[in-house]
Amino acid sequence: MSSLLDVVLSSAFLAAVLRVATPYLLAALGGLVAERSGISNIALEGQMLGAACTGALVAGYSHSVALGAVCGVAVAALMGVLLAALRLELGADAIIAGIGLNLLASGGTAFAVYTLLDDKGGTSGLKSGTLPTVTLPGVESVPVMGDVVSGQNMITWLAFLAAPFVAWLFFRTRFGFHLRAVGEMPDAAASVGIPVRRVQYAGLALSGALAGLAGVFLSMGYVSFFVRDMTAGRGFIALAAVFLGGLRPWGVFLAALGFGAAEALAVQLGTLDVPPQLVSTIPYALTLVALALYAWRRKRRGATAEVAASL
Amino acid sequence: MTGTLIETEDRREYRATRRRDLAVDLSMALATILAALAIGFLVMLATGNNPIKAYEVMLTGPLDRSFRVGRWLEDATTLTLLGLSVAIPFRARQISLGAESQLYAGALAAGTVAIFLPLPPVAAVIVPMVAAAGAGAGMGLVPGSMKARLGANEIVATLMLNAIVVRVYDYLVNGPLKEPGSSAVHSKSIQDDSALTPLTDWFGTPMGRANIGFGVMLLTAVALWLLLTRTPLGYRIRMTGSNPGFAEYGGIKVPRVIEWSFVIGGAVAGLAGAHLVQGVYGRLEPGLAGSLAFEGIVVALLARNNPLVVVVAGLFYSYLRAGGDIMEQQTDVGTEIVVVIQAVIVLLVTAQALPELLKRRLTRRQVGVR
Repeated sequence: MSSLLDVVLSSAFLAAVLRVATPYLLAALGGLVAERSGISNIALEGQMLGAACTGALVAGYSHSVALGAVCGVAVAALMGVLLAALRLELGADAIIAGIGLNLLASGGTAFAVYTLLDDKGGTSGLKSGTLPTVTLPGVESVPVMGDVVSGQNMITWLAFLAAPFVAWLFFRTRFGFHLRAVGEMPDAAASVGIPVRRVQYAGLALSGALAGLAGVFLSMGYVSFFVRDMTAGRGFIALAAVFLGGLRPWGVFLAALGFGAAEALAVQLGTLDVPPQLVSTIPYALTLVALALYAWRRKRRGATAEVAASL
Repeated sequence: MTGTLIETEDRREYRATRRRDLAVDLSMALATILAALAIGFLVMLATGNNPIKAYEVMLTGPLDRSFRVGRWLEDATTLTLLGLSVAIPFRARQISLGAESQLYAGALAAGTVAIFLPLPPVAAVIVPMVAAAGAGAGMGLVPGSMKARLGANEIVATLMLNAIVVRVYDYLVNGPLKEPGSSAVHSKSIQDDSALTPLTDWFGTPMGRANIGFGVMLLTAVALWLLLTRTPLGYRIRMTGSNPGFAEYGGIKVPRVIEWSFVIGGAVAGLAGAHLVQGVYGRLEPGLAGSLAFEGIVVALLARNNPLVVVVAGLFYSYLRAGGDIMEQQTDVGTEIVVVIQAVIVLLVTAQALPELLKRRLTRRQVGVR
């Protein structure tokens, strides 16, 4: 047990947590923005995949990492707009349309890579590079924090800035007020002159862009290439974090960070004598319990409200 | 059949409506498929492949040899069962994404019983299947009652349960259930008596791993169709799905119906797990189901949740999959294009509002003419 503590408290482990949590943070905040706008974005997974693949391919061919990242994020944002269009223009169920987009991304990226590179596995044959890491001159020499914070990829920094950004957006800006109003009660929002559709399109585009950043991090931060289906269910976990976090920016932030920590821990435990598969079920079981508790509490509150209303 | 003239007429009209609905469902599925294939054609053309040759191989390949037919039927069995399993909750307007957890729970139950429990010949086949259906139903009950009793979001609940069960399965196959002394990761083989009879034994030609699970699947589809159209519970499920508020008002206990829809769906997905263990692999393997659970959703949607049409959609969809594999072997075009075609199918299916929109516009024009 003491060895476990040693591992968990080491600065290398904490640095790993930040790294592993990055895609969860970004994708979960993206899911939050969509959820709050009233359209569930279950296509987070596909958007990450699309962005990861586009990023690596464009960077590889153009020899510009920045251009790759921008294109990746743009593709994911477009997928968000497409989801909104399917929902708003064609009346599709957002969940089912999202499943379709996930399939499209999985098949489309594999098809694109195979067509362009004649390689079934991924883009490892293409030199696409990684986004730069950030080192802060002063922080590096601070004992523990220096090792944890310094040298992290720039997208990790962005991920941690994204949470305050989304909180600011939600509660301090006009767009945020509109977004939440639309998600809460579209008819009421429309009646006071809020352009409901435009707000939802913008919300889904932003949601896709955040998921896209997460995807770009996978193929241009973690590693420097795209591998088929490399998101490996992270989009769904991010979706869980959205609900576990109670649909609030800081709650979602903590939930996503927790999922990242759990995954990093599961990797570490592989070296000890604990079955990693069982450890990695903990966040999901927690979410399931939290979901039940949350619903139970809401139901009880609803019941009291009903009683109050009937009096 | 006795009754007043009005009753007979009423009945006749009801039947006609139902026949028409079935025809509409089938033709919609067909139109969707053709549109998706057309888009696939264009994609192949645009990427410099030869779509005519690819489609020729893809569409004739699976019938080429008897073992390829077997490969197709084997895939169709699992896929159709999974499609049926989500069609039932979908009918009650519950978006259950839990087929994966139900399938793995079913596979675990069927596998452990079939490996470790000595049983007399016929029971050795049936008991594991019953165990699988029970385990699947139990996995359906969890999100089902969370939704019905607490109002917890069923999408998140089923996704979480999937993640948990798949990992527990993975752990068991890598650990306690792993065949001792084997270097590869899988369980011991099931007892010979527990295996589902291969179709090869029946038809005398090599049919690969296709087995009488196919017949079980057909029976299940008919049973579910009868359940939905001929029983009070089926009526309640359909009512709950088409208008929950009205169903509640009409005295239907909506939460209980929702729970049942999850339990029934779970049992069917459990059977899919049993089919994979007892019919296809003969043991517990890691990653048993691949991405099939999600593709079952596509099949159910394509069939508009009509159990009989699910069979047709399942057969077609697995034909595409089988054809895609053969296409990959014989031409330069990879199976990825099949996934793209599948995705297009889903997106077209979701845009069901499209024909609705057309219909509404047509009616409006008619009204305007009058």
